[in-house]
Amino acid sequence: MARPLLEVTDLRKQYQARAGMLAALHGRTRSVPAVDGVSFGLSEHETLGLVGESGCGKTTIGRIVLGVTPASSGRVVFDGHEITALRPRALRPLRKQMQMIFQDLDAALNPRMRVRDILREAITLHHRLEQTEVARRTSELLDQVNLKSAKLASFPHELSGGEKRRVGIARVLAVGARFIVADEPTSALDVSIQAQIVNLLRDLQTRLGLSYLFISHDLEVVELVSHRVAVMYLGRIVEIGPAERVARASRHPYTSILWSSLVEKRSDEVARNGAAAWGVFDFERPGQGCRFAPRCPVYEAAGRPAICTDPTSEPTLRDVGDGQSVACHFPLAR
Amino acid sequence: MTRPPLLEIQDLRTYFYSRAKEAFIRSVDGVSLAIAPGETLGVVGESGSGKSVTALSILGLVGGNPGVITGAVHFAGGNGASGPRNLLADLERYVSLTKHDGRIVAVAKDEPGWRAHVERALARVRGKQIAMIFQNPKSSLNPFVTVGQQISEAVRLHTGVTHASEAKERALGWLERVRMDSPRLRFDQYPDGLSGGMCQRAMIAMALASEPSLLIADEPTTGLDATIQSRIVALLAELKSEFGVTTLLITHDIRVVSRLADTVAVMYGATVMEHGPARDVLAPGVEPKHPYTSALLASLPSTQTNGRRHAVDGRLPVIRGEVVDTMNVPRGCRFHARCDRITDAIRARCMGEEPALATVAAGHRMRCHLHPGEARGG
Repeated sequence: MARPLLEVTDLRKQYQARAGMLAALHGRTRSVPAVDGVSFGLSEHETLGLVGESGCGKTTIGRIVLGVTPASSGRVVFDGHEITALRPRALRPLRKQMQMIFQDLDAALNPRMRVRDILREAITLHHRLEQTEVARRTSELLDQVNLKSAKLASFPHELSGGEKRRVGIARVLAVGARFIVADEPTSALDVSIQAQIVNLLRDLQTRLGLSYLFISHDLEVVELVSHRVAVMYLGRIVEIGPAERVARASRHPYTSILWSSLVEKRSDEVARNGAAAWGVFDFERPGQGCRFAPRCPVYEAAGRPAICTDPTSEPTLRDVGDGQSVACHFPLAR
Repeated sequence: MTRPPLLEIQDLRTYFYSRAKEAFIRSVDGVSLAIAPGETLGVVGESGSGKSVTALSILGLVGGNPGVITGAVHFAGGNGASGPRNLLADLERYVSLTKHDGRIVAVAKDEPGWRAHVERALARVRGKQIAMIFQNPKSSLNPFVTVGQQISEAVRLHTGVTHASEAKERALGWLERVRMDSPRLRFDQYPDGLSGGMCQRAMIAMALASEPSLLIADEPTTGLDATIQSRIVALLAELKSEFGVTTLLITHDIRVVSRLADTVAVMYGATVMEHGPARDVLAPGVEPKHPYTSALLASLPSTQTNGRRHAVDGRLPVIRGEVVDTMNVPRGCRFHARCDRITDAIRARCMGEEPALATVAAGHRMRCHLHPGEARGG
């Protein structure tokens, strides 16, 4: 096992809910827990996939880990430095080592800058370099992300989706990142281009020894690129383990439903069993005890055991062997 | 083919002119498709392949310069038993084309005249005989009107029902039929209070409430969460078996198409590359297949779709290069620059001559020099 690069311990983040103008007068301001006690580790050269439905807190975790969004409580330790305790100034030297690839291709690149200038800015941001050195580094980056040098003079709007994504990745490499939070890096891309980018990210990992926190709702891509996968539900990790095991031998009912929803889209056979009758979740009022209980088929099938909704016994992650951990009172059998 | 098609698109072309580039964006470039009554036709393609613009062109919803320039859309829906009528009839009266070397190089179109004509011709078709559901359900619903009122309005506008109370009952019935939970409660809610999945259900209810002959679903699951997506797909499958409404399903999600569609059209670079029964076109390993379709299926990250695990290092087979630029459609086959099946024997033709959409088996057509099929009669 490579040494840990990132250690996240009991991370929490609350947002204030908008409750209307008069809510404060009535003392009714509510806080919505976007991230509610999340712990995980990431080794060097490793990819941890983070999956879950929208609103479950995956992006918030990515932002907190990079020190972009402050945490409400908890610790993030990157390469021995406690990010959550550092002032912005002290964080600066670490920033070049940890970078983010954003979901929105167009918003991530300055529309008024040519590719050449976007890369130069990133190269010279943390390093003072000679003009010739910048040129050498630029062509090296282009080579790494498979972008033609003819594109250097282009503006972002003249690039295709795949090219924009490549520029975004080159920029992240330009500052010398070795840990990258990739937030839905393929969701805005076409299928054929998506495969190119997935392969590029993997190649870069091998060549440069990068570590990724790979955030996506695309389960198939996550399963493919990740060494380990963490499944989030309403601000908590409900299952974490080797990608193959989480996907193929899930122990948490939610994980199992997530992956079977892929199959359901394809065939009628499995559509009837499983996720047939589950309600809508409510971020603002998670149930007592296990927050998945209101939608859980196992809870229903077991005759609604009291422990699942007992406020004092919310299930926590525990080791179930083979590097897999699950937060469930009644984990699925192997 | 026993029954005549409900909708038949012939040689549809929709262009837009880019002033900056001084060139046409050939968004839809010679599309011909047909849907039999009761059938679901899935149109798959990457972004920019022209699938959405095709749908909008059918309904005359494409504005801009020059917009729809050629084509016919024969539609046999509606109450009149007068046989199919061309929704784009008399289009040629408003358009004159200049061709050079077999390609359209200039278009003169009387857009206001054409627009007025289309509005007249399609007023009774849109929403009533052909209903549409869109990708973004939240922004397609009026935020200031309750969900129930919007559906009741569709009922009153498009069916014989005039009484408000009866329209309400019908609307509630549709909300139940799309499996909306607590329909009476949702009826009085504004779209803002509904989740994305519920909004999509409301959209589907509204589209079905007018009892259309043809339903066009443009990316009905895109942008929804994985679990919600699978439930919307399940709903569409149930409605299909329950009402048998003829559907044009447009999506980039091959999984959704393989679940719902009877026939599939694969679009690339603004035209149809392959069109045939879903089980032949999308089933892995079944030949013949268009090289683009094969490559597209192979590049899916899903292990099930491919039927086998990928190479050990987890690399996906890729289609090299970029999606074709419809502003600069290459000579020859649109896919030739990315194709890995070109042989020396046909290379010159692939690069110089656009293959025709030829019949390779019953109901299965392909645009590829590898599969010349039989020349199409008529």
